[in-house]
Amino acid sequence: MLFKLLSSSMKKMWKDYLVLLFGLTISIAIFYMFQTLAQNKTFLEENALISPIVFVFHAGSFILAIVTIFYIFYATSFILSLRQKELGMYMTLGAKKNKVTKMMFIETLMIGMISLAIGLFVGVGITEVISKMIMNQLNFSGEGFQPFYPSSLITTIIFYVILFLLTAMVNAWKVAKKTVLELLHSEQKADILTSKGWKTAIGAFISLLLIAIGYYVMIHMGTFLHVGVIVAVFTVTPGTYFFFMALLPFLIRRVKSIRSINEKGLNSFTFAQLRFRISQLTKVLGTVAMLIALGLGAMAAGLSFYHNTAIQASLVHANDVTIHQPTEEELSEIESWEFIEKNSYSYKVTEDGVYFLKNDLQNSPPSIKTYSDDPSALPVEERVTTPLSQPEYSQGEIPEDWLEAFRSELLVTPSLFGERELYILDQQSFEQLNASAEQIILGKVESFTDHIEILKQIDKKHVNLAKAYTGEKPLMIGSKSETYTSLKNLASGTIFMGLFLGVAFLMMMASVLMFKLLSSATADIKRYHMLNKIGVRREKLSNSIHKELFLIFLFPALLGFVHVLVGMEMFSIILIEPFTKFWIPVVIFLIIYFLYYLLTVQMYKRIVLPKKK
Amino acid sequence: MEQSVVHVKNVQKIFGKKSETNFKALDDVSFDIYPGEFVGIMGPSGAGKTTLLNVVSTLDTASSGTIEIAGKDITSMKQKELADFRSDQLGFIFQDFNLLENLTIYENIALPLSLQGISIKKIKPLVTQVANKLGISEILEKYPATVSGGQKQRTAAARALVHEPAIILADEPTGALDSKNARSLMETLKQLNDHHEVSIMLVTHDPLSASYCERILFIHDGTIYKEIHRLSDQAAFHQEILNVLAEFSSLEMS
Repeated sequence: MLFKLLSSSMKKMWKDYLVLLFGLTISIAIFYMFQTLAQNKTFLEENALISPIVFVFHAGSFILAIVTIFYIFYATSFILSLRQKELGMYMTLGAKKNKVTKMMFIETLMIGMISLAIGLFVGVGITEVISKMIMNQLNFSGEGFQPFYPSSLITTIIFYVILFLLTAMVNAWKVAKKTVLELLHSEQKADILTSKGWKTAIGAFISLLLIAIGYYVMIHMGTFLHVGVIVAVFTVTPGTYFFFMALLPFLIRRVKSIRSINEKGLNSFTFAQLRFRISQLTKVLGTVAMLIALGLGAMAAGLSFYHNTAIQASLVHANDVTIHQPTEEELSEIESWEFIEKNSYSYKVTEDGVYFLKNDLQNSPPSIKTYSDDPSALPVEERVTTPLSQPEYSQGEIPEDWLEAFRSELLVTPSLFGERELYILDQQSFEQLNASAEQIILGKVESFTDHIEILKQIDKKHVNLAKAYTGEKPLMIGSKSETYTSLKNLASGTIFMGLFLGVAFLMMMASVLMFKLLSSATADIKRYHMLNKIGVRREKLSNSIHKELFLIFLFPALLGFVHVLVGMEMFSIILIEPFTKFWIPVVIFLIIYFLYYLLTVQMYKRIVLPKKK
Repeated sequence: MEQSVVHVKNVQKIFGKKSETNFKALDDVSFDIYPGEFVGIMGPSGAGKTTLLNVVSTLDTASSGTIEIAGKDITSMKQKELADFRSDQLGFIFQDFNLLENLTIYENIALPLSLQGISIKKIKPLVTQVANKLGISEILEKYPATVSGGQKQRTAAARALVHEPAIILADEPTGALDSKNARSLMETLKQLNDHHEVSIMLVTHDPLSASYCERILFIHDGTIYKEIHRLSDQAAFHQEILNVLAEFSSLEMS
């Protein structure tokens, strides 16, 4: 009988349950989505530029698990808040405590299991859709990646079954602990901040300390390596939660105690709502900040790998453009390019040799990249300095820096010229040589990536040229554009992972915050209606909501953003400039976050504000 | 004759659309409340008490007729003006207190003043003053959840009074209080009315609460059925009220 009552009242509150189910489902789906990548070791190792990628994913899994635990515990306590008054009523009518406790246990578990089933289904679906979308965007085949990955499925099931069992037990225990009266009057209980001053102060201090340690380790990742990642995970994560549990309520209270701000217009209400909400939201805000950090971080790291390919290509080549035997068409094409430096060199090709004119080389010695003895230092750009004092040079006599210039900059390589020997001749010998004089154009441009399409065409021409000289079509000539393209292909796996995880984390973040705000909206209806009754204009209420939710959205975003800012420093051990075009992921994130803020405000207003007449 | 605070003339309130069977909750109701008056509205459930209060308090609109409060015609006002008008001219006391439980008692009382943009310096003395009148100056820093029902309702009364509205509209203010607290609240309201010339319109079905009024309008089936004035002492007035209510029940029977 009791269960019949329960299910009928569940129907009555189906909207609340729908919000809850939605929140849980997304969490499960995202957890699964993450696991499809994290557990697919072969895919990770084949496609990542970071060698300890599996380890990085282990750290990520750990953070996600903590965040999920907080979230699920919070979400399921929502069931209790929906139910307790009713359970109290049953008890006044004579239902036994253990029966009511059992009901709570079963209900929590049941909702958990239903959302697990739906969540896994949705998880496979969105993994499929999102991975396809990103792969198409990146032109990345993503072989070996499987949206349906049994081992991830099993991990997700085990993790959530245990979690739901635990939360069901906690809910049941909470019911068992309360008296009938406490259950009945649970709704009237105001949320009063009881936390003591010194507790908050200690909490705030611990929070700052933990975050500081984490930041220090991340900035000096080169020294700490694996240990650093572990330390960062274990300091920044709890530090973030402490931040929202202690430091933020403390700050809000400070602002509220400034009377000139607090007692102005509707501010006292807005701040009271905010203070009250932040004390309720501590864990959720911590969770959101962490998810923002992970999501934005993943996206930023992925895109940073992408944008670093141009820089990495520059490590090998000092010049951007090398054109052997330029055609009229090519010459007119490069006419409009903004060259920083442009030189041309004459050479002749015979059956068994490639001959360069010494004057040209001496007049404008090309730049090359040279490595110093320090293996961790980046190569520097220098001009070839060794003077060419001999009248003529044959291959074995050419100084090393000149050889480097021929190899990497002028592309005089076996793939282009086969077995031919390299010579440098003076004007006279060069002119006497019985072969047609050819040109090489070598140069640096303002923006290398702008011209990549033309440069690829030139690469193709060089391949055809090579075929004419050697009879074989080489795979590569060794130009900068080729280096760039192959690095980019190599990086696309990493970018894929970054974007994939970025999307996953941001989706979960969205569902967490929206779930939290909307699930507590029902309780706020009365307040807004009352304010309207005593004469607060609808616009003022609406403004108050905008302001309050804006601040709620702002705090986790700020902290999450700072985490990312510091966290990106970690990549400076792999990437040359981790912050290249950092603004792109930031702008993407801001747009998504802002839209999502507006959506939440709209939905929230629809629930709490009195209807327009 | 003195200008009335509340002037209600030929007010009708019809629920339901034209095509459907209409229900006249208020049918041609007219009355006035003068400054400093303490007027009760009584009547059986479903007689139209709450509708009348909603219409006067601008929370609902009348179908026809005119309502003027403090000389202003509220029937032609727009939503925004109405909100401003409420915050300016009306004080509300509800049965279920309607305090904001996340604000302290002080902040709850100060809210109408803050909303009118009154400077912070002026707010504090006004709140203290009204809190003294209502005997709640000891609990100003507490939250509503930690004080008694009687104290909550006094807070609500203080909030209704603090901005010196033209009239206080009280909807069953003693409904959620025990008899001792109810009596004490009514005595306070009576005092405010006597000494501070506060005009009050009280909707109630409790004869004892109503006996504190000077004049009572009885509503039945949407019309004013009877009006009685307090001429002698409270006990006699109480008896008179009970008699009218007895008349009602015989009306219902027949």
